[in-house]
Amino acid sequence: MTDSQGHDGGAQHRRLDAVWANWPGWRTLAAVNHTSIGLRFMLTGVFFFLVGGVLAMLARTQLALPAQDILSADVYNQVFTMHGTVMMFLFAIPVLEGLALYMIPKMIGARDLVFPRISSLGYYCYLFGGLIILSSLFVGQAPDSGWFMYTPLSSAEHAPGMGSDFWLLGITFVEISAMAAGIELTVSILRSRAPGMTLRHMPIFCWYILAMALMIVFGFPPLILASVLLELERAAGMPFFEVAAGGDPILWQHLFWLFGHPEVYIIFLPAAAVVSTLIPVFAQRPIVGYRWLVLAIIVTGFISFGLWVHHMFTIGIPKLAQAFFSVASMLVAVPTAIQLFAWLATLWTGRVIRSLPMLWIFGFLVIFVCGGLTGVMLALVPFNWQVHDTHFVVAHLHYVVVGGMLFPLIAGFYYWLPHFSGRMSTPVLGALGFWLTFIGFNATFLLMHLTGLLGMPRRVYTYEAGLGWDWLNLLSSVGGFVMAAGIALVLLDIALHFRFGRPAGRNPWNADTLEWATNTPPAPYNFASLPALDTRHPLWRQPELLQSIPAGEHGLTDIRHGRRETYGTEAVSGRLREVIHLPGNSWLPLLGALMLAVVCVSLLVRIYPMALLGVVGAAVFLLRWGWENGAHPRAAPLTANEPDNPPLHSRTCDGPGLWGMWVTLMANGTLYLSLLFGWFYLWTAAPQWTTPETLSVDRVAMVAAGLVLTGAVVAYGRLVRALCKGRATFLAGGLLLVTTLGCLHLAVVLWALLGAGLTPTEHAHDAMLLVMFLYLLFHAGLATVLSLLQALRVRLGYVGVRLPYEPVVLRPLWLYTLAVYWLSVALFLFLPAAWGAGG
Amino acid sequence: MLQATHPFQLVAGLLVWAIWFVVLYAGLSVGCAVAPPAAEQGDLNWLNGGLGAISLATTLLLVLAAWRCWQAAAVPSVDRQGAFFARLGAAIHGVSALATAAIAIPVVAYPPCV
Amino acid sequence: MFAHRRLWSAVAWLTRPRVAVLAGLAHVCLLTGCAGEYSTLDPAGPSALAVSWLWWGMLLAFGLVWFAVIGLWLLAVRRDPGDVSDAQAQRLQNRWIIGGGLVLPGVSIAVLLAFGIPVGHGMLPLSADEDVLRIEVTGYQWYWQVEYPDAGVSLEDELHIPAGEPVHIHLRSNDVIRSFWVPRLAGKLDAIPGHENVLKLQADQAGVYRGLCAEFCGLLHADMGFTVEAHEREDFEQWLSDAARDD
Repeated sequence: MTDSQGHDGGAQHRRLDAVWANWPGWRTLAAVNHTSIGLRFMLTGVFFFLVGGVLAMLARTQLALPAQDILSADVYNQVFTMHGTVMMFLFAIPVLEGLALYMIPKMIGARDLVFPRISSLGYYCYLFGGLIILSSLFVGQAPDSGWFMYTPLSSAEHAPGMGSDFWLLGITFVEISAMAAGIELTVSILRSRAPGMTLRHMPIFCWYILAMALMIVFGFPPLILASVLLELERAAGMPFFEVAAGGDPILWQHLFWLFGHPEVYIIFLPAAAVVSTLIPVFAQRPIVGYRWLVLAIIVTGFISFGLWVHHMFTIGIPKLAQAFFSVASMLVAVPTAIQLFAWLATLWTGRVIRSLPMLWIFGFLVIFVCGGLTGVMLALVPFNWQVHDTHFVVAHLHYVVVGGMLFPLIAGFYYWLPHFSGRMSTPVLGALGFWLTFIGFNATFLLMHLTGLLGMPRRVYTYEAGLGWDWLNLLSSVGGFVMAAGIALVLLDIALHFRFGRPAGRNPWNADTLEWATNTPPAPYNFASLPALDTRHPLWRQPELLQSIPAGEHGLTDIRHGRRETYGTEAVSGRLREVIHLPGNSWLPLLGALMLAVVCVSLLVRIYPMALLGVVGAAVFLLRWGWENGAHPRAAPLTANEPDNPPLHSRTCDGPGLWGMWVTLMANGTLYLSLLFGWFYLWTAAPQWTTPETLSVDRVAMVAAGLVLTGAVVAYGRLVRALCKGRATFLAGGLLLVTTLGCLHLAVVLWALLGAGLTPTEHAHDAMLLVMFLYLLFHAGLATVLSLLQALRVRLGYVGVRLPYEPVVLRPLWLYTLAVYWLSVALFLFLPAAWGAGG
Repeated sequence: MLQATHPFQLVAGLLVWAIWFVVLYAGLSVGCAVAPPAAEQGDLNWLNGGLGAISLATTLLLVLAAWRCWQAAAVPSVDRQGAFFARLGAAIHGVSALATAAIAIPVVAYPPCV
Repeated sequence: MFAHRRLWSAVAWLTRPRVAVLAGLAHVCLLTGCAGEYSTLDPAGPSALAVSWLWWGMLLAFGLVWFAVIGLWLLAVRRDPGDVSDAQAQRLQNRWIIGGGLVLPGVSIAVLLAFGIPVGHGMLPLSADEDVLRIEVTGYQWYWQVEYPDAGVSLEDELHIPAGEPVHIHLRSNDVIRSFWVPRLAGKLDAIPGHENVLKLQADQAGVYRGLCAEFCGLLHADMGFTVEAHEREDFEQWLSDAARDD
């Protein structure tokens, strides 16, 4: 095969291209295609990596010699805070999300992700949020309380500038993109695999990404809640973390690390996915212990949620509780060791081909194993008490995240370069770049362990001479610049390869996974025809796929209808269920994200009317987005000859949207559980928490409102059941009835809230109650508005007996709203009273 | 009862572990807030005893579930997909049991509330 | 066996220069580095001493693990496996993964806990030693307020303790979170607004020990150092009564 663009049936490809291509010129900003969005994520991530790197070099310059004042304490605090923030939130997570968004559909034999517009929205939220955070450096108001933002240091009293607001609002904005990617990847992996690809036939990469996506779904909500609460405290004076008013700063630490520790594994798992994908290719034999790896992935995903307190061993919680978390932290080494020995055994049984990607994997091994071992040391509580918050931890965490994330990522970049560009990189420059990076990294951070043991604390802008830290810091700084030179060479190598690299041809590494069956660079639709698969190693077992896919010999080749389509399959068995029709290029995600950026900036500068306008604007664009679905003329209007075997997904009572709704509600439920945790935590642990003697909320009204809501949800459920059985006689009227009940419910709850006379700026108790009320009102309000729109869509013929999909998707939201309502009434309003009466 | 070959077995054991872990930590915290045993009692008190008993019961439950999955995977009539889930489910229940037992060990070593 | 000789040559190749480097590093450390004023490797109290032994033990054990894994990897990459059937690969897989992935970390964790739990227990300020000296330390931006409540003495950034016996430091904070740490004596403990934490501190010999704030506490975080001066018991009584009179 000499021509990587070789087409059989060029006319078919032109037709596919007309439907799938991005718009040309600047209108490419409306692209929703996962290949484009994935690449944009990765490029933007690399940009932020360079920003974070420059900040690191500034910090190392300041620390190179004792008692320097190149940077003032104030600037240094901003620099290290921004370094951590940028590297974690704007580089590590997004760049890996980008890789996953790019790869997953290609590996599972799909044409796109199942919610393409969400990819685009996620990207723009990331981009705008990142730029807002970055702008804080240029207005000299960057956050300076550390990337962990411990309150009260980050509170309005001790950080009166805009720095903390930049962090809280900007990061929350960026988190939208992580949540979007988490939900979208989960549903795509579960519901759009190639027909016949059962769970146990998934490439191991997909297991890793599925675990990462689910960890995002459960890991990020605590941080989002914490950020919202802290911003409410700063902007509106609601004292969640203020001791005197019944709050507690430790609550922030719990919520932050509930996110923060899983986060480490959220970035390690996809990197390990790269390692597990590359090693079998370069050993030229299947990975040893596929089931062991799946076991390790699942165990990591769970156990990593039980470690967060190991970041808090010095705050003075009971020793027994510390011991629980200490053992759990050590246990997480078990799945990591399982993976390590599976990789070793694979190499042991294969003839290993030496290559640049494998060199980076070797660097990963040396560095990450060291970081893992110091991690086990740190999990030992007495040792932790000594080295916590010293440079020993700085060294450890860089060994873990640079070794466990950056090195595999660069290995992956080199491995997939031919896929992105169609060309191979040059070996010499790349090897030089690796050795400089590797040596520079170890010079910087290996020594830093000793610096920490000699007692140098973290986050000090300078130190006095003669403490034994001088030569160590100097060498660390020199190492840092060597590493920077290595990274520069890698980037140069990659840039040059676009011009000078030799053409790669197809599947240049003789890989086993399906992404190498696309053109290189890939066409926007990935595959001209979608094959059925029943092997983990499609390109090894069926090499003829390289010809038969572009020749159009497999499924879903009809493109005359002009819709973007991919297969929808059953989650476990991979049996073909439906054809998922996907939206094309759209401005709505960009406009929605722009409006959210307006909200973010308005809150930052505290011009609240403008923020309100932004919210309304965002709502308009997002609802319009939902409007262009199903049988809408811009989606998949009903036609005379509908495909029925398999049917279009919007003609069924199940589909990716329903799964998307459930996954979203799992994330939402985690947010709610975090709120409940905050409520019970403050109640039991805050030093000056008080529950008022008599509750001012009218509980009778709340129960009445709950009964109305229950009526609405029961009615909605009956409508949906009838609809899926083919009866829709009373559909529009029924939906209007549900809407009316929803409005009534909202009115009563609002009345109860206004009549309660809460004083949320004086007591954490009332502040918590207010947040709970707003949460309930938002959910009931959203479900009500969406039901009203459904009623309209029934009138317009977009929803009906042949189109039952959308009301089905909406039903879990109603159920969820009902569940959190009764839970809230019981736990926030009745339980404290009952407890008080009992004791 | 959930079939031993059901895909949910991939997470069931760890879900049980997670719930047990929350009960353990919350039980300790609330116990220390409501009726802290005196430190002089060492690890022989109602709180450590209760947490230990819950942990033991959870471990036994998980071991039982692991054994059940393992048996189901060995049945010749089971299809490969089902055997995959049962085998993995057995391992995951086993690991969960180990994790439960290991994390609970400090209950016999430390007084609860200091 | 041939494979064995290869393995040994690889191990020798790996360890020869590196042992020298390690020994050299340890030498440098003992001569110059370990003896810093904030050095946890130059312990002067029972807690810090116990932890420094934990460190050297873990360094040795984990250093061996590290080199072994890297050696295995290099060997695996270089060797020619010949034809490995799927059944052989399966056996090898189970042996390696169970040995390296389950037994190795399992045993390591058990050993670590066997040493670590008693050490941790010894560092706890149990109420059994109730007659120990109580010192109250409160963090301010950016200094430490030190109070001796029984004697009515009040100081800044300066503690005095009797040598050879434990004292209890009661830690509070007036504003933000910070962490009280005297590296040569004991581990660190946070001072948190609204909470009180108790740290057990003991210096074996009389002398001056330096301490610092370990938790980032704002602009002048780097300048929150303090000293702990340990006196012989009689000298301490003398100092305390003098200080009480001056106040």
